[in-house]
Amino acid sequence: MPLDFSQTVAQIDSMASRLASARESRRQKLETAMAAMAGHSQNLPALRDRIAAAMAARTSTWLAAGLLESLDLHITPPSIPNEFTVIAADGSHIDVDRHYAAHCFLINIGLVRLTYGRHPEAILSSSPLLYFDDEDVVLMSPSGDEPPEPIQGPLLGTKRSVDECQALARAAAELTGDTTTVCLVDGSLILWGLTGAAYPKFVTDVLISGGLIKHFSQIQRLSARRPIGLASYISFPRNTEVVNALRLAICPFDNIDCDRNCPPRTKNKPCDTIGGLLDRDIFRHLLKPGERSAVFASLSSIVTDLYGPHQICFFYLNTGDEIARIEVPWWTASDKNVLSSTHAIILDQCRRGNGYPVALSEAHEQAVVTGRDREDFWRLIEESLAGKNISLETSLKSRSKRTRWL
Amino acid sequence: MDQPLAQSITDTNKIGEVIEARTDQFLAQCYRLHEAPPLGSLIKTREGSIEIYGIVARASTHALDPGRRIIARGEHEETDEAVFTANPQLARLLVSDFTAIVSGHKSDGTVRYYLPPRPARIHAFVHTCPADEAREFAASLDFIDLIAAAQRDFAVDEVVAACLRRLAAVQTDPQDFLVRAGKHLTVLMSEEFQRLNSILRKLK
Repeated sequence: MPLDFSQTVAQIDSMASRLASARESRRQKLETAMAAMAGHSQNLPALRDRIAAAMAARTSTWLAAGLLESLDLHITPPSIPNEFTVIAADGSHIDVDRHYAAHCFLINIGLVRLTYGRHPEAILSSSPLLYFDDEDVVLMSPSGDEPPEPIQGPLLGTKRSVDECQALARAAAELTGDTTTVCLVDGSLILWGLTGAAYPKFVTDVLISGGLIKHFSQIQRLSARRPIGLASYISFPRNTEVVNALRLAICPFDNIDCDRNCPPRTKNKPCDTIGGLLDRDIFRHLLKPGERSAVFASLSSIVTDLYGPHQICFFYLNTGDEIARIEVPWWTASDKNVLSSTHAIILDQCRRGNGYPVALSEAHEQAVVTGRDREDFWRLIEESLAGKNISLETSLKSRSKRTRWL
Repeated sequence: MDQPLAQSITDTNKIGEVIEARTDQFLAQCYRLHEAPPLGSLIKTREGSIEIYGIVARASTHALDPGRRIIARGEHEETDEAVFTANPQLARLLVSDFTAIVSGHKSDGTVRYYLPPRPARIHAFVHTCPADEAREFAASLDFIDLIAAAQRDFAVDEVVAACLRRLAAVQTDPQDFLVRAGKHLTVLMSEEFQRLNSILRKLK
């Protein structure tokens, strides 16, 4: 049945009213946060060390950003190079469908290389890869002690993210010349899906140490010979790491120990005066169009424990249309020229792309797998197997969804 | 089936490829953006050993993906070429194509002014015709009948007039050709005086 909008509209109205009344409270929190930011910018080393200590000792409830430079920096956009290249990768996938007896999945990576300057050029491609062999549809523990982990659902999404970085590394390796290049992906460079105890440790090892880090290293090696940076673009970010750094900054206790100082049921914790704000709220206030924030370090344990020389840093960017979060590995952040070019080029890409980096939106177009594509995919598999006299069982539930009967 | 002769990679007459084909018309995609052959020009493709002649009746440039809308990008550019320089992906995402009305075919070395037995093949190459081939084609004016009878979702009269203008231009005596063509049209459209007049005016 179609969605009953008469029931839904009233609920949407009441949500809108509540959002409107929360606005005043948010404005006050923002004022407090901006004051805290300005106040603590003068004493960077002390605050930096306080946050680092709390994060290392895991006594803070809040994931706070590592401070590398003054909190309230805002950097004007540099001019873009005359010649530069953007390589962008995006992916989509067709997940394992447990209603089919053929156990397989497909990852489609869209890759785009745009060159600007005297010899503009565009190369657009998509590469679908079907995984079906028994050893390819699972992640195996190197020791063989643990049962293999099937690649499906959220884990398939994470594997796809790793494959996107692999595509970037391969494309970067094929570049000639020495023009400034930025390699871009959409979403985070931090594989958040692997945090917590969701998967056995070997899964994280295979995908990060044996996967993501290798691709980062490949691009890093290129960066020793030519100006090339790696960045990810996060639109409409919901992160709170900088807000959380301000929480720790305004925390009145000498030692940061959230569980002890403010046990779980504590109402009106001192840092709640800025609770509920997002990083983008602060930087929308601080950054003029085109400006970027200071660079911060991710202190997430998955990064500090597993990313080795590829510690992830981030900054916020006012693209003119939104506050975006840009994540870069340490070796991009610490190269002033490459960082500056990355800032300028991403801004330029947003300008050409009506608010979103054009290379990423074209990579997405190359990668996209429509609902119709999915149906065609499973039908092709049925036909191919039928052609080899293999009958494909499907579940009756799947059949009932495909044929809408009365 | 006769194989087409191997074409030099620099064959400048090769301009596109058939992507849809019917007995009486075919649609070809251009290899180069914005470089569809002119309206009314004579082109050819093949079906096996038969060369199929067509007169270009419509050309179009549009997004390769019909779901994507082209948007204006040049507000701050000085020229329209600069729009493409500033957005190099556009050349890969736009496509030009053209539709040709089948106006005859050549089999066994003879041009025949009636429809071929089968439509052009998909992915058959499309070539422009050099002047001598166009003169050979227009040696008889019977091709006009096929074009004039085409379905009216084309601007048929414009196509007829453009075709005759272009074919006249490669004749040793263009005026003589146009006069003969005008007489042929008069007989063909003897009961469509206004239509005839309209076409004749466009022959100048």
